[in-house]
Amino acid sequence: MPEARFRVKRYDPEAPVMIGARYDEFTVPYESSLTVLEGLFYIQEHLDGSLAFRYCCRAAVCGSCAMYINGTYRLACQTNVRHLHGDAITVEPMPHIPLVKDLVSDMTDFFAKYEAIKPYLMRNSKTPDAEIPQSEADRKKLDMPIDCIMCGCCYSSCPSVWGEGSYLGPAALLKAYRFEVDSRDEAGKTRLPSFDNERGIYRCHTITNCVEACPKELNPTEAIQWLKGATVRRRLLGRAK
Amino acid sequence: MRQELIQEHQGGMWLWLLQRVTAVVLVVGLAVHLIVLHAFNLGELTFDNVAARVASWFFAAVDLSLLGAGLFHALNGTRMVLLDYGFSGEVARCWGRSSGWWVWRPSDTAPGPSGRG
Ligand code: HEM
Ligand code: SF4
Ligand code: SF4
Ligand code: FES
Repeated sequence: MPEARFRVKRYDPEAPVMIGARYDEFTVPYESSLTVLEGLFYIQEHLDGSLAFRYCCRAAVCGSCAMYINGTYRLACQTNVRHLHGDAITVEPMPHIPLVKDLVSDMTDFFAKYEAIKPYLMRNSKTPDAEIPQSEADRKKLDMPIDCIMCGCCYSSCPSVWGEGSYLGPAALLKAYRFEVDSRDEAGKTRLPSFDNERGIYRCHTITNCVEACPKELNPTEAIQWLKGATVRRRLLGRAK
Repeated sequence: MRQELIQEHQGGMWLWLLQRVTAVVLVVGLAVHLIVLHAFNLGELTFDNVAARVASWFFAAVDLSLLGAGLFHALNGTRMVLLDYGFSGEVARCWGRSSGWWVWRPSDTAPGPSGRG
């Protein structure tokens, strides 16, 4: 039976001051295939019940299990250990985000920023009796942003977030784009002030770390650049989008 | 999160737009400047030649826009670098005011979202 060696970074909020980082090693046997998440289940069930990590869907749709695995942002449930190189699998929490315990990140700020951009469709005109029609081309514009699963990888990887704790970050701005670009959205200038500022779109310097980090292969940078252009079009040229 | 911190930095569109416009002016203007002054020296380097060039409207316009664009671009660029290094307190805000006061618009300081959601 093949075995996978796990090196898991630990963090105990109740421990007295920790000097250096603590990594625990575990050996996990498996039959033909094993995801990193399944490996963590095995460790928790058989080797160390105190290990904490987050997961929910196990199918790469909920975004709970984002981690830093062998130095790359990945979803633990989507990562097969056979596709990882090296003699051990190093599992760390996403860097630059406060920790709750072990691999569990504190996503409070992340979701507060998501809320701050008013992440819902806004309408002024009368709600039609049937559905609100949308052309195929307009619907296509949503293909990229609606695939975001709010995992936080992009947010953790963004140097502008590291430098300025209250920068909205790529995920919230991608969500703002998702609604601003939607032909059915009539927010006008209601949503605008939440991102039209230097803790919003103008804090992005197109470093594209977020694009590299995203396990869904999305492009928050492009979305943020679109928002910059759309803001100028809207405020200076009076256009709707 | 600290909602008030989001509101504190309302505005920025004008600074961003001008950073971009001045970048274009710099790229084009510096090319003209370097080509004309260094690659193809217009005649000998004599007082008369220099005086003739300086007196021409075209070169006055190129030089003045280069000076203005360069000053704005460098000052605002340095302000952004300071912001990114975490000096977003008083120092950076004073700098923002002094280099950005002339592009201030009332809407730039309009309050942001009053609450979450
Ligand atoms: C003291 C000198 C300079 C400083 C401090 C400076 C700083 C900056 C900064 C901070 C940005 C914005 C980057 C971002 O937010 O994405 C920028 C953009 C840019 N700069 Fe400069 N810069 C300087 C000189 C120049 C010169 C001499 C040129 C041209 C020859 C130039 C061309 C550009 C261009 C093309 C952009 C991109 C504009 C954009 O993406 O909007 N810069 N600069
Ligand atoms: S492109 Fe913008 S949002 Fe993405 S990592 Fe860079 S600064 Fe952050
Ligand atoms: S853009 Fe990608 S990395 Fe960022 S939260 Fe969405 S899915 Fe995750
Ligand atoms: S458990 Fe839902 S994305 Fe991995």
